[in-house]
Amino acid sequence: MKLLPVFLIEATAFLLIIAETYFFFDFVVPVGSISHSLSDYTLSALLKLGLTFGLVVLWFVVMIGMTRLYVRSKTRNVPSSSS
Amino acid sequence: MPLGLADIGLLLLSFLLPFILLLVGFPPFLRFLARKGRLLDDVHKNPPSKVPGPVGPLLFLAALIGELVVAVGFQSPVPVAIIIGTAVAFGVGLWDDLYVLGGKTKPVLLLLAGLGFVGLVLFRPSLYSSAITFPILGNVNPHLTIYTILAVVAFPVVANAFNMMDSFNGEISWFALLTSLALLVGGALHYAATAGFDLARVASALPLVAIAAAFLVFNRYPSRAFDGDSGSLMFGAMFAGLTITSGVEIAAMIAIVPAILNSFYTLSSVRGFVERRKMAARPTYIGEDGLLHASLDAGAPSTLVRLLLLDGPLSEKDLVTNIVYLTLLACLFSVGISVLTWVI
Repeated sequence: MKLLPVFLIEATAFLLIIAETYFFFDFVVPVGSISHSLSDYTLSALLKLGLTFGLVVLWFVVMIGMTRLYVRSKTRNVPSSSS
Repeated sequence: MPLGLADIGLLLLSFLLPFILLLVGFPPFLRFLARKGRLLDDVHKNPPSKVPGPVGPLLFLAALIGELVVAVGFQSPVPVAIIIGTAVAFGVGLWDDLYVLGGKTKPVLLLLAGLGFVGLVLFRPSLYSSAITFPILGNVNPHLTIYTILAVVAFPVVANAFNMMDSFNGEISWFALLTSLALLVGGALHYAATAGFDLARVASALPLVAIAAAFLVFNRYPSRAFDGDSGSLMFGAMFAGLTITSGVEIAAMIAIVPAILNSFYTLSSVRGFVERRKMAARPTYIGEDGLLHASLDAGAPSTLVRLLLLDGPLSEKDLVTNIVYLTLLACLFSVGISVLTWVI
C-alpha cells in the first residue's frame, strides 16, 4: 500500500503517453497534409511543432504537479534540517 | 498460425544457446576480470565493496550468437538490423566504461545506433511498418518520415533510460527481464493475430530474454557481476530495435514507464544531461543504520529512487524489490495493452 501513490503517478504517466501518442499520430501529423502553397505549408508546420510542444509540456506539467503533491505529502511532517 | 517442429526447435535454440553460454561463461569471465583488476565499486554497501565488471562484452557476445541463430534459421534480416543498433550502443558503452564519455557525448553517439538500424531500411523497406497500432482504436495513418525520425531518436532515449536504471544490485537485470518478457508477449500476440507476420520478429526477442535471465543470476542482490554502461546501453538499444521490428510500440512504451519516469525526474532536476560521476550530490546516502536514505541536499537529483525513499529508509534489497513491483505493474499493463490491441 505504501507504493500506491507512486503506482498512481505511473498509471497517469502511461495513460497520458497512450492518449498523447494517439493524438499526435491521428491529429497532429495529418495537419495541413493537403496544403499546396508555401505559406499554408509553413503555417501547418508551425502548427504541428506548436501542438507537439504543447503535448510534451502537458505531460511535464501533470507529472511535475503529481510528484510535487506526493513529495509535499511525504515531507509535511518531517522537521526541516535547519530548525 | 501453428508452429512447425523446426520453428519450435529454432525458438528453443535462440533462447537456450545465449542462456547456457552465459551461465557457463560468467564464472571464468568474472575470474578473468578480477585477475585483470577490473573491479567496480559497489557504492551502496557499507563499507563499499568491489564487484567484477563490466560484463557487457560477454552479454553482447551472447546476444550476437542468439540473433545469428534467428537470422540464419529464419533467413531474416530483422536480427541483423537489431544487432547493428545493439553493436553501436555496446561500443559506445564500452568506450564509456574504459575512458568515460561526457554526459552529452553519449546520447549524441547513440544516435548512430538508430541511424545504423534505419539505414538497413534502404535495402529492406519491410523492416518495419510506420503505421502504429493502438489498443481498441486500431491503426493510425502511416507516416514513414516521422516514424523513422522517432525510430532513430528512440535508440539514445531508451538506451539512456535503461542506463539510468542501473544503480542498484539486480535493478537492471530485473528491469530488462520483465520488460523483455512483456515485449515478447506483445510480439507473440501480434504474430498470432496477423497473417503473414514474420516469426523471426518474435524470435529476435528471445536472446534478450535469455541474456537478461542469465545475467539476473549473477547480478541479483548481492551482485557478483556488474554490466557497466556497455551492458545497460546494449540492453536498451536491443529493446528499442525489437520494439520497432515487432510493431508493439505502445505496449513497449508502457512497459518501460518506470525508466521513462526515472529519466524524466533526473533530467528535469539536474536540468540536462550530466554524467553521473560529475553530479554535485548523490540522490541517496547510506545512513549509520546501513539503510539507504533519500538525500536532503537540495542539489541532489530527484530520481525515482529518491521518491521511493521519501517514505522512509530501505535496505538495498527492499528498494530493488519496490522497483521490481513498479516494473511488474507497468509490464502487466503492457500485456493488457497487447491483449486489447491484438486479441480484442
